[in-house]
Amino acid sequence: MPSTPVPRTDEELVRIVLETADRALKELGGRPAAGPPADPGTRRNLAGSARETGRAVQEVSEMMKNWATHVPWDELADFADFGADDPAGPESFTRFLTDRYPEVRTALEDLVEPAALRITADPDEEYALDKQAYDFYRPAGRDLLRRTEEFHDWVEARRRTETWQYSRLLEAAPGSVAEISNDLGRRARGINFNSQDYLSLNAHPAVREAAARALGDFGPHSAGSPMVLGNTRLSNELEEALGRLVGLDHVTLFPTGWSAGFGTVTALVRPEDWVVIDRLAHSCLQQGARAASKNVVRYEHLNIEEVRRHLGEIRRRDSRNGILVVTDGLFSVDADWPDLLALQEVCHAHDATLLVDVAHDLGSMGPGGSGVLGMQQMTGKIDLVMGAFSKTFASNGGFLASRTPAVKQYAKMFGGPHFFSNALSPVQTAVVLEAARIVGSAEGDRLRARLFAAIDALRGALGGHGLECLGSPSPIVPLLIGNEKLARTANRFLFDRGVLAFMVEFPVTPSGSARFRLQVQAAHGPDEAREAAAIISASVEDARQYLSSAFRMGTR
Amino acid sequence: MFDAIVVGARCAGSPTAMLLARGGHRVLLLERAQLPSDVLSTHFLWPHGMSYLNRWGLLEEVLRTTPSHTAVHLVNEGIALTGEVPEKLLRTHFEELHGDGGGVVTTHASVRRRVLDGILMDAAASAGADVRQGCTVDELIVEEDRVVGVRGRTRAGTRFEERARIVVGADGRNSFVARALGLAKFDERPRCTFAYWTYYSGFAPGGLQLHRRGRLAAAVVPTNFDQNMTLVWGPSEWASAFRSDVAGHFQQALSFVSPDLAEQVRSEGQQEERFYGTLDQAAYLRPLYGPGWVLVGDAESFKDQCTATGMTHAFRDAELAAAAIGSWLGGREPLDRALRSYEERRRSQNAAAYYDYACTLAEMRPLRHDELQLLAALRGNQEETDRYIATHADIAPVSEFFQASNLFLINDAARETSDQHAIFDGFAETSRSYLRNPFS
Ligand SMILES: Cc1cc2nc3c(=O)[nH]c(=O)nc-3n(C[C@H](O)[C@H](O)[C@H](O)COP(=O)(O)OP(=O)(O)OC[C@H]3O[C@@H](n4cnc5c(N)ncnc54)[C@H](O)[C@@H]3O)c2cc1C
Ligand SMILES: Cc1ncc(COP(=O)(O)O)c(C=O)c1O
Repeated sequence: MPSTPVPRTDEELVRIVLETADRALKELGGRPAAGPPADPGTRRNLAGSARETGRAVQEVSEMMKNWATHVPWDELADFADFGADDPAGPESFTRFLTDRYPEVRTALEDLVEPAALRITADPDEEYALDKQAYDFYRPAGRDLLRRTEEFHDWVEARRRTETWQYSRLLEAAPGSVAEISNDLGRRARGINFNSQDYLSLNAHPAVREAAARALGDFGPHSAGSPMVLGNTRLSNELEEALGRLVGLDHVTLFPTGWSAGFGTVTALVRPEDWVVIDRLAHSCLQQGARAASKNVVRYEHLNIEEVRRHLGEIRRRDSRNGILVVTDGLFSVDADWPDLLALQEVCHAHDATLLVDVAHDLGSMGPGGSGVLGMQQMTGKIDLVMGAFSKTFASNGGFLASRTPAVKQYAKMFGGPHFFSNALSPVQTAVVLEAARIVGSAEGDRLRARLFAAIDALRGALGGHGLECLGSPSPIVPLLIGNEKLARTANRFLFDRGVLAFMVEFPVTPSGSARFRLQVQAAHGPDEAREAAAIISASVEDARQYLSSAFRMGTR
Repeated sequence: MFDAIVVGARCAGSPTAMLLARGGHRVLLLERAQLPSDVLSTHFLWPHGMSYLNRWGLLEEVLRTTPSHTAVHLVNEGIALTGEVPEKLLRTHFEELHGDGGGVVTTHASVRRRVLDGILMDAAASAGADVRQGCTVDELIVEEDRVVGVRGRTRAGTRFEERARIVVGADGRNSFVARALGLAKFDERPRCTFAYWTYYSGFAPGGLQLHRRGRLAAAVVPTNFDQNMTLVWGPSEWASAFRSDVAGHFQQALSFVSPDLAEQVRSEGQQEERFYGTLDQAAYLRPLYGPGWVLVGDAESFKDQCTATGMTHAFRDAELAAAAIGSWLGGREPLDRALRSYEERRRSQNAAAYYDYACTLAEMRPLRHDELQLLAALRGNQEETDRYIATHADIAPVSEFFQASNLFLINDAARETSDQHAIFDGFAETSRSYLRNPFS
């Protein structure tokens, strides 16, 4: 119970003002301010309304008056003073009603019935743009199949509004230009930054020739695990070629890059060991870490001082178990890379082992295609190197490279997907082998030079349009957008304007840092890159207008 | 002729004027109302808000009459979490935003505006700003497309005119400066909450309590005068039903969201003031600056009260804008470049992510199954609970907590299973029942 009687709420009071003034205005019959009403009854009523208005306003809280500063509260409060038979009559009130009230009415009405609440957005589009995939990550209910439906409803809304960036289809080989259809079957043709074929080897005649030869020699099927009879002699040649490229002699093949990462971590790490992993390392490594041990420590992206601190803390408590430190070489979402010399030294100082995933950089950058390792003179000096063929080597597959045959044999036996999954097909193996030859040849150098000319042109042009590219020059050009709605809308515009780009958002990137991941190829010409940059910039600008978004793209 | 005229003397305006005056600049601070006085707000300050006060040397004075705490108690659908904002996250926050992580404190407080705003305005005056209350600005002086001063009238009806090198609009949500400039709102988010609150004496809730159930929420925090600010909120779609009986529905909402709190309020609480409320809380952004003008505080951007960050963000704007304007006035940087750095921080990726976070929360949809499981998984994980609280308050970036590998790790580290929480029994039906408007 209140200790003293409390005044009425502001809303109640504002409603009284609105009702009273509306009634008075009606009584005036919309009469222009020319002359005051002559009828004494009307005059009395008006004076009464003026008083009622003024008194209600006097009771409105200070809180409200200092907030809704566009309402002339003081002027309204003065109306409380009209005497019943004031000879001056309610002139000032009448004048207020005819001149000022329409504007004041809108302001008051907004306080009790805000216009913004009368929402007219397309519910489908709102639903599609509002949510994130993670919202559906843990559905409710015990029916495993039925509970997938809520997510599906959202996917359908995204598809109907053409903001679903996934599952597009190629209509032909993905060159520097590609023809695709989105998952509603609508076609588009555009400059293609959507394919991870950095040296454009998919179209290389020698690569296709190698594939055809292997198809003829061995057929399309490997017909077994590499531990049984899935490998051919091409597999051994490939292992040796890769060993030369990364400077580690003992190489094992995996059916995909993903399984190379997952298989390596789960093969080597026991439940009591530690995994210290870059927060942004690839999903195959994160999931491998989770599957292998509960002792997973994530460190801030690229922060080697933090690694040093974690290793120091772990070693102070635990001298018996192993520590695997895990990082990507070129990070595919941010286009940056760690200082590998420093990282490897920190690992050695704490008896920890370093694993580097060179999926994106091997072959596409660095002297002779040696990737980030070669750029930092670290070829052959990293404990463990793994990679994927799916970016530069024109095929599926992945590998683990180590310094000793013991590690290799162990990973083959205990790295699940090596033992328990069908081997790379002979065609894939032959393709990667030929690609590795090209990567290490003078032609490889020429292709990389062309690739980097296109990269520089693209980054330069995007920057020139005021857009922010993250990271350093590499085949991946991440164009930061931030807000998911903005990115999804820009992506929808881009589709029809001749640029194919992949938009990445949560869970690939953290919430609120959506971006376009532009993947450049050797086949892109610098002019093509500049043209694309102009189209992208216009689409982002139009999306901003469409959403009337004021956010720009600085990171902090 | 002043260096700067600041219109509005509360959370955004007074600190802007104070910091500029401390920098040796000639500042005029104009305020329509008489202070000390209240303004519509539930006036909670998170630790970064308190840290600003501390950095400016004003915290001690505020704490002389205001209780403060560090513990934050959250109860979502019966899943209770207690934590506090770690100093390290605060330091990082200030380093990244202002390039200086000094002076942070981990306490929070609820400060009545008639207490706080007076202290802020007096600090501007002590710093040397010319402070004039009861002065309403009703015209901007524009010459050659540039704002060069203001005109207005005093309470007594006298007109005045003043000129300055720059005019700062710190005049709140219904900003006169923004309206006079005809500035459009961007990124409007009409879905928001309705909020009703009042003040009770007679019990001690021990720091901030935030309760959430279905589409309703309640908060209680100790504030000045031995009272507790006690607040309920819900989706604006339910507002008109709610206000048909504010006092009755207030109790009903409280009982629904937290029977214990409702019981405490009923049996021990003395209501000291009327119910205050508003439903006009749609979020927006406005342009930040133009020729001769800058906006700070609610004038430049507003978010729903549900995360209680408006005052702290007004402080942030004041520090950013004063640094930018000061660096121009001091001849260290051209104006445009200085203000662009203000804009970069205010319209950054982190700011956009938080805007989305707060606006989504303001829709007051029932908590989803995955959100509740995440909250359950946080129990016993103090470090991540604290980071969650810091993220909610816009101290740690949304993108660091809501990051796939982080959420996986939280799930993996979970100590409790869903059978420990009643909400997971018959979740789908409960969730559906929450969609019904209980006030109609
Ligand atoms: C229901 C509700 C609850 C809230 N709860 C919280 C909370 O718990 N924590 C939190 O941090 N934030 C909260 N906020 C937000 C917070 O109150 C605002 O963000 C904050 O007050 C903004 O400060 P400001 O200085 O920009 O504007 P205001 O506080 O609105 O100050 C503007 C000043 O400008 C003056 N003025 C206006 N026009 C003129 C003129 N023409 N000439 C001269 N002077 C003028 C006004 O008189 C006023 O004093 C809440 C908001 C609402 C609506
Ligand atoms: C860093 C990294 N590692 C591993 C992989 C997995 O490779 P694959 O697609 O060959 O399975 C990828 C590709 O997505 C990657 O980016």
